[in-house]
Amino acid sequence: MSANAGADAPAGADAGAGANGEELLGLCREVLAAAGEAEVEIYARLAERGCARFAIGELGQHMELVEPQAVVRVAHGRRVAETVTSRLDRAHLVDVVRDTARSARLVPEVEGFAGFARAGDGDGPPPAVPPRFVDATARATPEERVERLAPVLATIRDAGLVSAGMLETTRSAHAVATTGGCARAHDATFAAFRVWALETPGAGGAAGYGGHVHRDVRALRLAEETARAIRVCASSREPASLDEGTYDVVMEPEAVTELMEWLAGIAFAAPEVEQGSSPLTGRLGERITGERITIAEDPLDASELGFGVPFDREGTWRRRVPLVERGVARAVLYDRTYAARAGTTSTGSAVLPVFGSAGGVGASSLALAAGDAAGVDELLAGVERGLYVCRLHYVNGFLEPRRAVMTGLTRDGCFLVEKGRIARAVGNMRFTDSFLEGLARCDAMTRERRAVPTSWTDAGAFVAPALRIRGWRFNGRSQERAIPVP
Amino acid sequence: MAFPTDDALDAALRATVEWLRRQPDVRYGEVRFVEDRGERLRVRDGRPEQVTTEASRGVGVRVLGARTWGFACTADTSEGGLLAAARRALAIARASAAVARAPVVLPEQPPQRGSYRTPLAVDPFTVPVEDKLAALDGPVRALRTGDARLKSAEAWMDWTRQSKRLLTTEGTDLAQAFTYGACGMHVFALGDDGTSQRRSYPTWQGGDGFQAGWERVQALDLTGQTDRMKDEALALLVAPACPADTRTLLLESSQVALQIHESCGHPTELDRALGTEISLAGGSFMQPTMLGRLRYGSPLVTIVADSTTEGGNGTFGWDDEGVPAGKRALVEQGLFVDYLSSRETAAALGRASTGTMRAEGWNRSPLIRMVNVSLDPGACGGLDDLVADTDDGVLMATDKSWSIDDIRLNFQFSCEIAWEVKRGRRTRILRDPFYTGITPRFWGSCDAVCGPAEWRLWGVTTCGKGDPVQTMHVGHGASPARFRDVRVGSAS
Repeated sequence: MSANAGADAPAGADAGAGANGEELLGLCREVLAAAGEAEVEIYARLAERGCARFAIGELGQHMELVEPQAVVRVAHGRRVAETVTSRLDRAHLVDVVRDTARSARLVPEVEGFAGFARAGDGDGPPPAVPPRFVDATARATPEERVERLAPVLATIRDAGLVSAGMLETTRSAHAVATTGGCARAHDATFAAFRVWALETPGAGGAAGYGGHVHRDVRALRLAEETARAIRVCASSREPASLDEGTYDVVMEPEAVTELMEWLAGIAFAAPEVEQGSSPLTGRLGERITGERITIAEDPLDASELGFGVPFDREGTWRRRVPLVERGVARAVLYDRTYAARAGTTSTGSAVLPVFGSAGGVGASSLALAAGDAAGVDELLAGVERGLYVCRLHYVNGFLEPRRAVMTGLTRDGCFLVEKGRIARAVGNMRFTDSFLEGLARCDAMTRERRAVPTSWTDAGAFVAPALRIRGWRFNGRSQERAIPVP
Repeated sequence: MAFPTDDALDAALRATVEWLRRQPDVRYGEVRFVEDRGERLRVRDGRPEQVTTEASRGVGVRVLGARTWGFACTADTSEGGLLAAARRALAIARASAAVARAPVVLPEQPPQRGSYRTPLAVDPFTVPVEDKLAALDGPVRALRTGDARLKSAEAWMDWTRQSKRLLTTEGTDLAQAFTYGACGMHVFALGDDGTSQRRSYPTWQGGDGFQAGWERVQALDLTGQTDRMKDEALALLVAPACPADTRTLLLESSQVALQIHESCGHPTELDRALGTEISLAGGSFMQPTMLGRLRYGSPLVTIVADSTTEGGNGTFGWDDEGVPAGKRALVEQGLFVDYLSSRETAAALGRASTGTMRAEGWNRSPLIRMVNVSLDPGACGGLDDLVADTDDGVLMATDKSWSIDDIRLNFQFSCEIAWEVKRGRRTRILRDPFYTGITPRFWGSCDAVCGPAEWRLWGVTTCGKGDPVQTMHVGHGASPARFRDVRVGSAS
């Protein structure tokens, strides 16, 4: 059973440059048949990325990147070994299956390993997979990227500011096949625009950010987001230095999703729950945050905010998983092995290992449910004295994971709010607080949500509204203007 | 350990460089073949969590056209595949020229020829996988015995062999082969009140990284550390929180290494300082106008970038632009004196490259990356001497969390464990400690650095930079050190 590969996905190429999901699936099946091993799973992925990265007003790193990857797992009973390779050719992959089979005979058994996916596994029919592929993005050329970026560079230059950022156009093909008859294929495109308008090229100072992701490069809001970056930068000049302390805070979606990335890393996956470091360990069914908070793994979101691949690296169909409902911990993310050990079924959350990282279990498309505020201005209107935060930088959630205590700094726009209105820019502030406890003090969120690219998921983006939290703790300032230099 | 000797590949690499030389608007071109082989082993709670072999090979082509750069890559290592990638890279450079305001300036580099390989006593790829798993399984089982609160334990071992061949239009022809390893373990203790504490050895974040063979894993003696780790993890469950105060802070060696990484290594990357890394990492407070003038630290602080240190994660023969490895001070007796740089960025300051351009693999373009950036040892004996010399302070060990602002000034690091130091002795254990500061003030408050006997070269395996992000092996040598008047506190 194959998922919708996208109506205008190209067909007929080799499993090299330009291969689509169905072609990768065909390759996987051929390899399974030729290798002759009894219990094998192959996940094949090919991403072709055009990355036009600009800085100091120049397009200094314009790259076309090819990322071919096949992940082969072979089992002998409950002994499992895995090989990751960049070569997507049939003969090599057959050799890989056989080599991996030899390794599998040598390793200890994996408790709970339940075999690879079978045809028909799952709770019901395959999900309706929203289309994720747009030909215009897949076929974007270097010249097109340059043409789209030229006005961005000129607009920021004309504003007397320095530009930086990236325009990315990516196509990706995914397929998974097992000897048990599981077969999936998927094609997707991803266009992302990130832009900074800066007072100085690299020395700090005022900065503004804009960003947008879409499946269709033609739909990217380049002009609007460039204008947003310039507006925030212009408003951020000559910041005041604010005392540390506890402030009501309004966060833009870009800041909220940064915290959600860390929450995904420490809270929702079965391995962290099992080892006891997760805020959800032993607390399923209990209230862990505020009643306004609903967080779901939502990989099949059919709106413009959805980028999820409809199946995981094991071939399990992904589905919506309510993790936190109205503040109550409801579910944990599983792959097949952790699910079997816990006596449940996989949530389709097996994460592909990329070179140098382990893979494992994790969220692909985390989404925080919207509120009912008309916009950020309505959130600000309810703040007597507080902070409006556009983005966060270098968040870390390992301080006390059981409480989801995180630290990090503001970046690209931080403003003092007085009597419901933005009063003035302030220098970057460091916060240290529990995100879950902060969400318990969240009293308003916007109706509009934004998809924000994540740096580490193959889905591409997490989704959040802007929100208002009462009493967020700031414990430091970045004192760039106090450095003792000539 | 062999260098690539494939005749067809060699011919394809040469043909591609020759083709680039013939293009009238190519001012510089590099063709970089990279083959990676890896092994990732992870044992958790008595079961193999990961037994993964990795293989990757391909070629990256970076071209400087009439005005600017283009990069393309291919997994097809035939001559046709490489030529297609070279054409693509040049097409990108030509397209990008339309928005280039000034041509990139790239000083010439005399052609380099030669080879480098990691010295090994025991090639880790000759050690059977079952022996490696057994070396992890024993300590993991030991870590979970003796107390029901020892909830989970994990040990891991990573091996990477990277073979590189670099040919440039300047005539450079280099072969290098690196063997990187990393190994470590941790245990989680879960208290009756639901609190969780972790102890790791020898560090966290991937364990101790190095460029060496199996002999280095044997020297770690994982099994010999398990009793101490268990005792400390259990003690942390009932320990008081680190009180919030301004204190004298003592850091053990691996935490000094992290401090160097975040607050000296990254801000001395010249691409950050000039502004070309804004889209992921940010900038740097250490601006070119401050060279030779910024008082970065106390006179005890000399920080050196050395890509020649044997066994270091940041050691090589040449960087990915063909610049030879070398050693130079970044901070000399507290004064900021140099950057980590590339040929292009160094030229912007009228300097020569310090040879730090490296790419994660064949499908990434090189960036300025740390090499082995290390704090010179001082004269304060060992850690015990440092404690004995401290009347009132806090000693912190083993990185737990790390965060620093986008120009590398305001940092906050937490550690797995702390000990209160009173009248020259370690006293009670404190849990969830963190310390925070402003980079030059913090290094300016350094009043003691331990001597060479406790200087140790640590390896980071997951340093992230670039967009799309690349990870890199980098090294940091450090002895324990002491800092005065530092804000400390507890996350709990």
